[in-house]
Amino acid sequence: MDPQLEAFLRQVLVGLSIGCYLALIALGYTMVYGIIELINFAHGDLFTFGFFISLTIWGLFDVPMPLQGAWILALPLIAVVVVVLTGGLNVVIERVAYRPLRGSSKLAPLITAVGVSFMLEAIYAYIWGANQINYPRFIPTTNFLSDFSRIIRFTPRDLLLFGVTIPLMIGLTLFIDRTRLGKAMRAAAQDREAAAMMGINVNRIIAITFFIGGGLAGIAGMVYGLYTGSGRFIMGFEFGLFAFTAAVLGGIGNIRGAVLGAFIIGMVQAMSDLYIGGEWSRVIIFSLLILMLVFRPSGILGSTQSVEKV
Amino acid sequence: MLAKRVVVFVLLALLVLGVSAQDGQTVKIYTSWPLTGGTQAIGQSMLNAVNLALEHYLADNEGMGPAGLTVQVVPLDDASPTSGAWDGQIEAENAQRCVNDPECLVYMGTYNSGAAAVSMPITNAAGVVQVSPANSYAGLTRSCPTCAEDEPGIYRPSGEVNYFRVAATDDVQGPAAASWAVCLGFENVYVLDDTQAYGAGIANEFVNHAEEIGLNVVGRSSLETADSDPRSALTAALRDGADLIYGGFVLDSGGPRVVQAMYDEGLFDEGIKFMGPDGILSAALIEQVGGAEILANNTYFTFPGLLPSLLSNEQGVRFYTDYVEQFGEEPDPYSVYAYASMQVVLNALGSASETGTVDRASVLEAVRSTADFEGIIGTFGFDENGDNTAAAFYGYDFESDNFSNPTAITPTMHETCE
Amino acid sequence: MSTLLSRWRSIPRWAQLAILVAIVVFVPPVINILERQTGFGLLTQINRALIYVCLALGLNIVVGFAGLLDLGYAAFFAIGAYTFGILTWPSLRLEYSFFIAIWICVLVAALFGMFIGAPTLRLRGDYLAIVTLAFGEIIPPLVRNLDHITIRFGDWVLVESFNLTNGPLGMKPLGRPNFGLIESVAGLPPGQLDPGVNPTFWYFIIVILVLIVLSASRRFEDSRIGRAWRAIREDETAARFMGVNTVRVKLLAFAFGASFSGLAGAVFASMLGAIFPELFRFQVSIFLLIIVILSGAGSVWGVLIGGLLISTFDGVLLAQIMPSIFPNSDVQSLRWVFFGVGLIAVMLFRPQGLFGHLGRRRHTPLTIEEAIHGDAA
Repeated sequence: MDPQLEAFLRQVLVGLSIGCYLALIALGYTMVYGIIELINFAHGDLFTFGFFISLTIWGLFDVPMPLQGAWILALPLIAVVVVVLTGGLNVVIERVAYRPLRGSSKLAPLITAVGVSFMLEAIYAYIWGANQINYPRFIPTTNFLSDFSRIIRFTPRDLLLFGVTIPLMIGLTLFIDRTRLGKAMRAAAQDREAAAMMGINVNRIIAITFFIGGGLAGIAGMVYGLYTGSGRFIMGFEFGLFAFTAAVLGGIGNIRGAVLGAFIIGMVQAMSDLYIGGEWSRVIIFSLLILMLVFRPSGILGSTQSVEKV
Repeated sequence: MLAKRVVVFVLLALLVLGVSAQDGQTVKIYTSWPLTGGTQAIGQSMLNAVNLALEHYLADNEGMGPAGLTVQVVPLDDASPTSGAWDGQIEAENAQRCVNDPECLVYMGTYNSGAAAVSMPITNAAGVVQVSPANSYAGLTRSCPTCAEDEPGIYRPSGEVNYFRVAATDDVQGPAAASWAVCLGFENVYVLDDTQAYGAGIANEFVNHAEEIGLNVVGRSSLETADSDPRSALTAALRDGADLIYGGFVLDSGGPRVVQAMYDEGLFDEGIKFMGPDGILSAALIEQVGGAEILANNTYFTFPGLLPSLLSNEQGVRFYTDYVEQFGEEPDPYSVYAYASMQVVLNALGSASETGTVDRASVLEAVRSTADFEGIIGTFGFDENGDNTAAAFYGYDFESDNFSNPTAITPTMHETCE
Repeated sequence: MSTLLSRWRSIPRWAQLAILVAIVVFVPPVINILERQTGFGLLTQINRALIYVCLALGLNIVVGFAGLLDLGYAAFFAIGAYTFGILTWPSLRLEYSFFIAIWICVLVAALFGMFIGAPTLRLRGDYLAIVTLAFGEIIPPLVRNLDHITIRFGDWVLVESFNLTNGPLGMKPLGRPNFGLIESVAGLPPGQLDPGVNPTFWYFIIVILVLIVLSASRRFEDSRIGRAWRAIREDETAARFMGVNTVRVKLLAFAFGASFSGLAGAVFASMLGAIFPELFRFQVSIFLLIIVILSGAGSVWGVLIGGLLISTFDGVLLAQIMPSIFPNSDVQSLRWVFFGVGLIAVMLFRPQGLFGHLGRRRHTPLTIEEAIHGDAA
């Protein structure tokens, strides 16, 4: 096969994989924004929390590398624990730092979010160190396509990434669309006061939204660790920024939009890294965002009215 | 109310400080490099080494400082939460603090060459000697082809040389690495860097020299942050048929991730190797990539001197064992240079006292005339630019569990490869 | 605080001025005495804090006055600093005098303010914030990559490997103010009055800068344009229906806000004598936003005092006093935790900001007439 074509196909897979974990973070961003219109700067740090806390949980046991036998079954169990912990942390943050400010100006919770982010990052650095941290190689990297190409790769890690993230995205969409709770969330997003008058406990809905958003970010952090094998205390800032961009690109408040935006960003990143040079990727992604917003202010899938939806 | 409390607190703090300040003859050495943020680990290790050097000196001289002086190390941090890394403005403040403090006779720093560019004119104007353990940008001390045309004069408003560095410079290291790569039999290199002053700078030096000596550079790219995905660059390297990836990185700017990804993506299995500069050579690297087996037989490194664990001279062994015992971790390679810088400074304080008064001028003069000094990094001194006269580079490969087989490397070694 | 304020207002205006001048002039000697005791580098800290105050006052126009959330304000700071760099970096051979260059920087920053403002005028609320954030994210990598510009049209090469910004190495040295004319008139040797890195010199230059920015801010606050800004902040739709030309008013907010930042950036670049792409990261935008909101968005005096307090809280209390009170502890590595906790605490207890009430004369909502006449000019 032509190496040029192989490289291109390889980058398609790279772009999709970046899109996967960005999408999980972007979902939390977009849900929170949909309901309380807060740009939650601390959201990316929950992703980091998922990474570190899962690392600590693995460290409690003597886990074989790569995972074997019963340990493969332990993976979903640990994932559930991580979701509960990160989701719980996000609920606590909401209760302490955002809820008391709900009546005041929109800028106040923005600043507390920054404060929470500073605090979390410093605590991570204190507990787990400021260096880049290695995440053990629990999942092997044997290439399923090695007979077919020396550049294109599809490994058990890709299987894990796509196998975890895509069902989660579909599940969340169905949850929002089909369940009573999802309906209540949409109602709260559309008009909080009206929803409260209809008997919806808005505080509870908001807490649930933060729990789901935090949990998704947490599981993204864990999957990211298993997938790439490394992370840093401050990485949540970077990924949060790109996830936020993804959410806006797709139309903030829109679930499908966040996923679409994440995949677009992943793909643009992968292609510009290869064909233009990594030093330009950020310029290209954010220029794209500006152009997008200028010509279609509500994002790709956002409604043209300024009404936000979950 | 809050404002009032803050004022009261500040005043109280000043009072505490005022009371605790000792009288007697005290000499202060200000150190300035990041103690928080991404390079925190390196900065802390360097500070530990400085304190250890002082401790060793005192132990060897029955608890007496040089010429009976009380030596005090004042550690400053030049990183800020507003930038998350070294901050030029804070570095300027730090240098100014030393200049304003009559007891500050030595300013030790910085880690980042960019920060030195800010503090050097300040210490220079005040005639305070500045000793850097780690700066490697050539233009700080002399003119070079890739430097700005007014360097290094712009850092010396007084016209005098007041800045001395123990580490060697990138404009030798990058070319030496390229020559070494030729000798190792590599033909096609893909060059990757972190877009930072050090990483991109050394990668530029590597590329320039590679083109001169006929080493083929098949491609070049950058990782914007330590969290950028390195796989795209590896795709390009595979596509373009590279047999070596040269990475201009420091530990926390993504170098470990590149090595990790090369392993995970099967590049090492294909026989493609990795070569990196001193910024990423560290014991911490082994842990960060997830084990020695990943580095073994796959990686090459260049470093200006011998590593802490490989130091075989008496001082080196003492430093290494005491450091590991006291701090419970491997010293960072640059901590050797911090230790050596402190040795030079203590030695200079001693010889300054022989001339009579110990003040900024006499200490500066004493550091300037350092020659044939027996330190932890061997015998060395400073030339008229302030560079280390004995600076030499070694190439390392990685065998079983550690960096090994140090080989002296130079920018012209490709001619004979011996 | 409020009794102090009312007492202050009862003093005649000339006396107020005299007291202020006295404070300003006596700060350096007093600080120098303190400096000998503490060694905190206080005057340089104050200089930095005052630069942040200038920047925050510019951001205050956009966020506080006009209510447009700007998350990428550091971009204008960078544009000011880099314009100054390009104008005075010896390698580019332009070498403009400081006093000319800073005004060009103001102009360039204002133009960029309008340039980024113009396409965002259709956007509302947070979408605007996101565009500014994106703009702020583009500028640092852009200046970092502009060290080898090559522009080709087929075979015709317009520019080959042109180094505009010196990339990651940063631009240095940059021009400093030159008082050659005064020196020759006063018969001093050339270079006698050069500020170099002397913090006292820079203190006075920065105080002049703060005065310019402060008085401009105060003027805007009470002018027609200031009232128009307030009108669009309170309710943009209503303001438009009442005849406020929202497009023009918003563009002006961006232009004026950016121009303050351009001026501060130029002075900052000259004071430091060197600039690097990393100095203008997103964190700087956030820090400035923190100053504006924590001090009470919209209040000029509030931002002045708040900016000084917040900068010194971090630079002096957290970075220097705490470690000297608790040596050999983890205070240093927990500095960001304290900063974060401080932010959360202040916002929870005073969501309207610390000094939001300071110097705000009008507490009544805007009248319709005010809003209409706000754009009459």
